[in-house]
Amino acid sequence: MNETHWRVTFEIFRQKTGQPCHFDEYVMDVDPDEYVLDVVERIWAYNDRSLTFRHACHHSTCGACGMRVNSVEKLSCITPIREVARNGGKVRVEPLRNFPVLSDLVVDMGAFYLRLDDAKFSQVASLKDACLPFERKQQVREDGSYERLVDCLECGMCISACPVALTTPEYLGPGVLAAAQHAFHQSRDTSLLDLVDDQDGVWRCHSAYECTAVCPSNVDPGWRIMDLRKNILRHQISKIFSRRGQSR
Amino acid sequence: MKNEPNSTNFLRWFDPRNRKLGTLAFILNRITALGLTLYLFMHLIVLGTLARGPEAYDSFIKLAKTPAILVGETLVIAAGIIHGLNGIRIALNSFGIGTRHQRLIFIGLMVVAAGCIAIFVKSMFFSH
Amino acid sequence: MYTSSKKPQEGTFLWLLKIIAGLLIIIILGIHFYVNHLVAPGGLLSYSNVLAYYQNPIIPIMEIIFLIFVVTHALLGLRSIVLDLNPSQAVLRWINIGFVLIGAIAVIYGTWLVFFVVAKGSGA
Ligand code: HEM
Ligand code: SF4
Ligand code: FES
Repeated sequence: MNETHWRVTFEIFRQKTGQPCHFDEYVMDVDPDEYVLDVVERIWAYNDRSLTFRHACHHSTCGACGMRVNSVEKLSCITPIREVARNGGKVRVEPLRNFPVLSDLVVDMGAFYLRLDDAKFSQVASLKDACLPFERKQQVREDGSYERLVDCLECGMCISACPVALTTPEYLGPGVLAAAQHAFHQSRDTSLLDLVDDQDGVWRCHSAYECTAVCPSNVDPGWRIMDLRKNILRHQISKIFSRRGQSR
Repeated sequence: MKNEPNSTNFLRWFDPRNRKLGTLAFILNRITALGLTLYLFMHLIVLGTLARGPEAYDSFIKLAKTPAILVGETLVIAAGIIHGLNGIRIALNSFGIGTRHQRLIFIGLMVVAAGCIAIFVKSMFFSH
Repeated sequence: MYTSSKKPQEGTFLWLLKIIAGLLIIIILGIHFYVNHLVAPGGLLSYSNVLAYYQNPIIPIMEIIFLIFVVTHALLGLRSIVLDLNPSQAVLRWINIGFVLIGAIAVIYGTWLVFFVVAKGSGA
């Protein structure tokens, strides 16, 4: 860090397994164009070696650094201090909601990852299928021979933002439903519709669209949930007609 | 702080701080839904006065013309309009219509709701 | 498979019923206000007004249909709020029974009331 412009107080959520939680305050000299994660790392390096948090890539690719910054879900590695604080002000950093806290800012996302597997989440898709269907910005080879990583980083921020996930751990949650929609869109595998056609699946959503608002990667889980609903309705209706056709 | 999903977290449904318009829509929908449901059952009970003959009903209507009840009735009408129009947004979105513009649709519908409520308030309080 | 097995709670059918009932309520409510203000000028402010109003057969039929849809929608809506509180299967079973009973009683009572008013009016 070559230039220090601002002094900002970081209020960081602290909790070790089984113990009550509290906030620790660290007054930090920061460059406003640094990212929140940089300062959290500095707190760990110089102030408190017992602080735990997750990160890997530092460039919005791994999805490990999702946190609540001033109560809003952010990838802390790409959130500039300037965006969330003023000189002399405070920044509050908390772990994602709706996941069990393991230690400080680290939450247990195991259930989320296992459910992504159930939803046949694929990390790679052809260029044509990797983006939202209403977005055709890329140069696409018709034969689908080019592939890329899909947009979802598995950061879990959509689940943290969702008001429905607040009250029940059973809800599959936006990220998982989005993955199921994506897989269905590619494969037309109707077992995916069966997976999400459930009280704990698409019908649990109450259209707050907070998932879409916080998603850092343009997955638009809200749109994908509604697209699944449409496809389930279509599938159910066509089932009624095909059953009739058979009985004749 | 309770970080994990828990059924005792339900009060946080009604906390719009740091959230977007969609949460406000959800909160409005839920509060109006609860209010309307309460009203529905009260209404059914009160209409039972019809079975008790003209005196009972007419004295109930007299009561219903008091300002407190009129204000309550206005709230019910407002709740019905807000909930009903928001319901149209949820239904359309779920059939895959306008999902990407849900925010604009909500704002539009609430402008319509405000207009309808204003017309009702006018006819209820200022036209007799 | 990590995802828990299917629950017979609110699937496509109940959800669709809730939405369709909700949309029908808007339509009938619209008609209701239209009729109230144009067919029954001055409003239904006295007992005899109400009795006369109910002599038109459209009115009681509409009211009963309206009642059924509103009760259905309100109880399904209430149930989806209850589901969001994550009740146990045992509690949910009682809630289901309770809601069906409340719904049935409300519809029967309301229908009886409508017929009572119609009979009263034609007798007078
Ligand atoms: C005017 C027409 C109406 C429409 C179009 C409508 C539509 C809807 C819709 C789409 C929902 C689903 C909300 C969600 O999934 O989050 C809903 C929920 C609900 N509605 Fe209505 N509704 C109407 C009138 C009413 C009335 C008159 C009542 C009460 C008597 C009522 C009570 C409820 C309840 C209790 C819920 C559950 C709320 C929730 O899930 O948060 N609705 N309504
Ligand atoms: S859908 Fe978006 S917010 Fe949700 S896990 Fe994937 S990248 Fe994160
Ligand atoms: S550290 Fe990888 S996304 Fe932020």
